[in-house]
Amino acid sequence: MTDQMDRTVLPIRRPPFQGVTNRTLGGSEPDWNFVAPIPAPEGAPNVLLVMTDDAGFGNPSTFGGPISTPTLDRLAAGGLKYNRFHTTALCSPTRAALMTGRNHHAVGFGMVGEFAGPFPGYSAMLPKDCEPFVKTLQGNGYSTACFGKWHLTPDHMQGTAGPFDRWPNAVGFDYFWGFLGGESGQFDPVITENNKAVGVPEQEDFYLPDAMADKAIEWLHGVRAHSSDKRWFAYYSTSASHAPHHVTREWSERYKGAFDQGWDRLREETFARQKRLGVIPADAELTPRPDAMPAWDSLDETHKRLYARQMEVYAGYSANVDWNIGRVIDAIEEMGDLDNTLVIYIWGDNGASMEGTLSGTFNELTTMNGVPLTDEQQLQLVLKWGGLEAWGTELMSPHYSAAWAWASNTPFQWGKQVASHLGGTRDPMVVHWPERIKARGGLRSQFTHINDVGPTILEAAGLPQPTHINGVEQQPMHGTSFLYSLDDATAAERHTQQYFEVLGNRGMYKDGWWLSWMMPRIPWKLDPETLKRFAPGVWDPESDPVELYYLPNDFTQARNVADQHPEKVKELQELFWQEAEKYHVLPLLGGLTTFFGITPPLPSQSRFTFYGDVQNVASGMIPPIYNHSYTISAELEIPQSGAEGVIVAEADHLGGFALFVQDGTLKHTYSFVGVQEFRQESRTPLPTGSVNVRMEFAADAPKPATGGEVTLYVNDEPVGGGRIEHTVPARFSAYAGLDIGRDNGMPVDRSYADKSPFAFTGTIKRVVFDVNPHVSEEHERELHEQIHQALAAHAINA
Amino acid sequence: MSDTDFDVVIAAYLIPDLAQQDFNALVKLVEDKQLEVEGVALVTVDTDGNASVQETGDHLGRKGAKVGAGVGLVVGLFSPPLLASMVVTGAAGGVVGRFAKHRVESGLGEKMGAALPPGSAGIVAIYDRGKSDTVDATLVNAVKKSIAQVDGGGAKQLKAAVAEAQAGMGG
Repeated sequence: MTDQMDRTVLPIRRPPFQGVTNRTLGGSEPDWNFVAPIPAPEGAPNVLLVMTDDAGFGNPSTFGGPISTPTLDRLAAGGLKYNRFHTTALCSPTRAALMTGRNHHAVGFGMVGEFAGPFPGYSAMLPKDCEPFVKTLQGNGYSTACFGKWHLTPDHMQGTAGPFDRWPNAVGFDYFWGFLGGESGQFDPVITENNKAVGVPEQEDFYLPDAMADKAIEWLHGVRAHSSDKRWFAYYSTSASHAPHHVTREWSERYKGAFDQGWDRLREETFARQKRLGVIPADAELTPRPDAMPAWDSLDETHKRLYARQMEVYAGYSANVDWNIGRVIDAIEEMGDLDNTLVIYIWGDNGASMEGTLSGTFNELTTMNGVPLTDEQQLQLVLKWGGLEAWGTELMSPHYSAAWAWASNTPFQWGKQVASHLGGTRDPMVVHWPERIKARGGLRSQFTHINDVGPTILEAAGLPQPTHINGVEQQPMHGTSFLYSLDDATAAERHTQQYFEVLGNRGMYKDGWWLSWMMPRIPWKLDPETLKRFAPGVWDPESDPVELYYLPNDFTQARNVADQHPEKVKELQELFWQEAEKYHVLPLLGGLTTFFGITPPLPSQSRFTFYGDVQNVASGMIPPIYNHSYTISAELEIPQSGAEGVIVAEADHLGGFALFVQDGTLKHTYSFVGVQEFRQESRTPLPTGSVNVRMEFAADAPKPATGGEVTLYVNDEPVGGGRIEHTVPARFSAYAGLDIGRDNGMPVDRSYADKSPFAFTGTIKRVVFDVNPHVSEEHERELHEQIHQALAAHAINA
Repeated sequence: MSDTDFDVVIAAYLIPDLAQQDFNALVKLVEDKQLEVEGVALVTVDTDGNASVQETGDHLGRKGAKVGAGVGLVVGLFSPPLLASMVVTGAAGGVVGRFAKHRVESGLGEKMGAALPPGSAGIVAIYDRGKSDTVDATLVNAVKKSIAQVDGGGAKQLKAAVAEAQAGMGG
């Protein structure tokens, strides 16, 4: 049957009935093939695709780094290491290219999923004519599942109302367990299972990376329990090592003291190990520290100790991920599937992230909200939230210093977001497939790119790229299968040309040459003054400095030869613009349009009603209360014995608000991203019976981060209030959601932490947000523009 | 010195042994008579918020000296209950009450309350206000310094209360 199938059109049409039907069974001849499920092609492997997050070339021990990665070591020993593999330099774009086998702009992901923009390259809407390759696997007899981070569903489509056509289930996954956004807390994730947000797990000692491995193993066991030979595809996309860097002490303690030598020395040590291991050429040069980063020796002792702790946590967090992947590999081996499983293990969806700024931060939401904190303030806030011992715990949402990211990307320059340089784009990859790979333990150095993975998997499975899926003609994939390289280390590379672009940082690769055309912006700087330089009519991308490298004899981009080869520079510049036009890269900065006055239409909805059982509203979909006046009112039934608990809460103590009843009084707590807390309380006890409570925030002015006055009302009588000096301008949390009648996950006010989720013991009929009570249209328009600018900044860091 | 107006500093540290280092430096200055203090204490606050005194220095620069009036003044202003745990006489309750009252009336308590959050280490010192530059330069590893004022008269009364308590006379 297999050979007769046309697998180029999906879904595969049912085969013609080959039996005979009579009026009765008498004389009828069955055709069992007619009812058989569609099998994968003969010899097709299972596929485990692993991708970690915000991790660098110089992190894992397999590639000379300081972080112990025995699973990657094991797979490399039994498979192949790739040392010229490239991502796009940013989260969603890499994932879009990975899933579709196309260039990221061509599928609408020039930017991250939080930000659907008004140009084709930045729409954040996976097009129906570029379906993910997993849809092809699913349609050809594979069981398919996705675990962990997705980041390909636009923010405004992540609610119960859908649409769901860009959720994992709709693009080819039978099963999804993970989170839709760009990041998650490791102790308090808001889990989505298939098409439903199931919320924050409540079991004690929950840790997302461990639970993710458990879920993957459970699914694999389930597949094998129901079919002994059905092919499966699992996409294992870890939340680590993206911020928040959360890990248990058991794991961070393994690295205690391991980074006391600092980032400069760590780079040298890693570089030496990389040469010893042969994962970089013997003549490679270590690129120097950029001027934007301080020398380790220039730091005082407090900073050295804090920064060392930051890296200890990051290392433990990353090592745990590799350990968990090892558990999944063990389970596959135990089932007897490992020999015919193609494992592709990619360490990082971009280079390590520099988004923590130079000091690192106790709460990455401070950076995302553009809250300017001095180095001294960051130290004091670390102190406030528990000191060094609390770094890595749920008390913080930490991100390490940009200089550690630079060290994580050894031996290259820069890191995440910087698509023009290898620190942002080049990540380790290991491929393992015992039944196919003979040269075990080998190294491959052909140029490979994230958009090659889909074509490679399809070729390995013996499947054609479909011409049509669900009646929609499919665009050809842009990537090139690297299956050829499994058998031949010396084979000429087949992916010979590739553009790179993220946030104005450009690269053009062709036949070993790499043009670096970096926008002159320090990657962690997104303040208005910086961005003014890139406004329309101000920025001329042609005038940005260019660098040229010839990678076959300059592995690390250490020797800029632009001056010696002006003709090559010109050729690659022209080629870049051609590719940019072809793949919808233009207009450059199309993902930052709102910074420059191009904002989405004003929303029409200003009242949001939540009934008492609504939970886990995605953080990007809560009512837009930011930067202006608003009210929250609730209709309650309070029993004669009284009540306590949360009426409504968004996010946690590192940014959020809660309206709750405690000790008989109405209370409101507002956390300004963990920097300051503002509390108001009613002067009188809450009455019993039917009660209306209301919190009114009267903004000083409709402007970003405005202060204002809070008044609490019970049955329309003012009962208390106070001032909020600063409000959160863009977003309380990158993942924690809004709940009615409880505060899931970490509490907003830690005074009720011991009772979390502090469910309301009375009855909540409804909670209503009115977000537009006082703002003039002119103010609203101005505000609208400003908030979207802030959101764009958030999205970059997601 | 007792009629002089004083500054009270609570210096907070991320790294306990750097607090120890600065504490040693401060006490050495006192011992070398380059700085006069009423007392100085090295304290830690555990992750549950419980404070404890690790080491003290007196007005002569003697470390670990018994809780004299000066050290008692330092500890009592920082945390009256801590003082109670160090002044092991039946009169502790009275002196604690006097310190607590002083903290409330002077506003010192509110200012000092959040100075050392859970998980931190700190130095508390009381010194002649004219030496604030010297103290500031010595506590070089602190990430935050909270400073309050105590007038000479008030300090004198509180020291007397400590002395009375130690003699078992207070009440």
